[in-house]
Amino acid sequence: MNERSEVAKRAAQAYRTLAELAETVEDEWVYVNDLAEAYLPAIESLEDGDTLPPGAAIAVDEAIAEIALITDPHKAIDWLSTFPHLVALALGGDVDGPGGGEGGAGRLDGHEDDDLGGDSPFRVLLGGRK
Amino acid sequence: MRFQDAARDARAVVYAGIQADPLVARVAALLVDASPAERWMARAVMNGERTDAGTWRRIFPTVFPEGASASAGAEELLAGSLEVANRGEAARSQYRGAIVEELTARLLASRPSAGVAGPVKRERRVLFDGVPAEIHPYDVTVESPDRPEVYDCKWGSRGINADVLNQLDDARSHAADEEISVRVAIVVFDARRSCQIRLDRSTANRSGTRLVALEDMNDLRETRR
Repeated sequence: MNERSEVAKRAAQAYRTLAELAETVEDEWVYVNDLAEAYLPAIESLEDGDTLPPGAAIAVDEAIAEIALITDPHKAIDWLSTFPHLVALALGGDVDGPGGGEGGAGRLDGHEDDDLGGDSPFRVLLGGRK
Repeated sequence: MRFQDAARDARAVVYAGIQADPLVARVAALLVDASPAERWMARAVMNGERTDAGTWRRIFPTVFPEGASASAGAEELLAGSLEVANRGEAARSQYRGAIVEELTARLLASRPSAGVAGPVKRERRVLFDGVPAEIHPYDVTVESPDRPEVYDCKWGSRGINADVLNQLDDARSHAADEEISVRVAIVVFDARRSCQIRLDRSTANRSGTRLVALEDMNDLRETRR
């Protein structure tokens, strides 16, 4: 196992632990699990890639140490969306997943108007339906 | 459709004090010109447990490369973010919210068309004839007579909820009743993916509402066509 793979595995394990803490907020159980379901494979996928950039392993281990300090499950929820992006920044790569990183133009109802052309500065709110 | 200053209750007065704190303006000004990595850094530090700069420099080697100098803006942003973190748990959440609002207003005001398109204002209600006024004001508005815009700002994706989405959609639909095309958007200083995940579970009508996530903040600089 190469260093990159080991670092990504440590990050994924830390993320699982963070998610376990976060899911103790009963009202957010579904959201927490949705986040984990999306981000965990994304973190794991960072195992594949180029040689680690300078400082990457230290960065990820420091980020892991940071989330290990969290005891408040509400704070843990905040970090469920942040931690994967820190890991991706350090290792080089992205955790946006299929369809998550492209943004896009146009409204959810499928109509284009003069307000939302193809180069619209705004991203659509995915998940809406006609 | 018309805009109006929000009535100030006691909570609003306290929050106005935070909005007026020079720290909010300083951090927001630094975020305007920050890179995406620097914005992630600011979010992490202001959410973080540790408040020593060295730790955060090590977590962000792309912002603070080993053996090389970071940009002055990055160091200042780190320092400002740590000041927010050091305000304590209760205060920092209010500071973070105020910073997102200020950042949004500054990006909108930096458009080439700023001033021509209409003033950028804060804490404004939107009124429609024959429609009961919403209690909560919109965080940021661009008050163009013919192409107005209203924005609600959130620090994290968890702030996205049905009430916010419904209020934005109501503004859009009531304006449409008056044949005014109003842009409604929610600005969230969090990962786009996490916002989308949050939205996927919402049943609120949001088909005409736009999302501006952390990765998209610079898009606010672009003039509405």
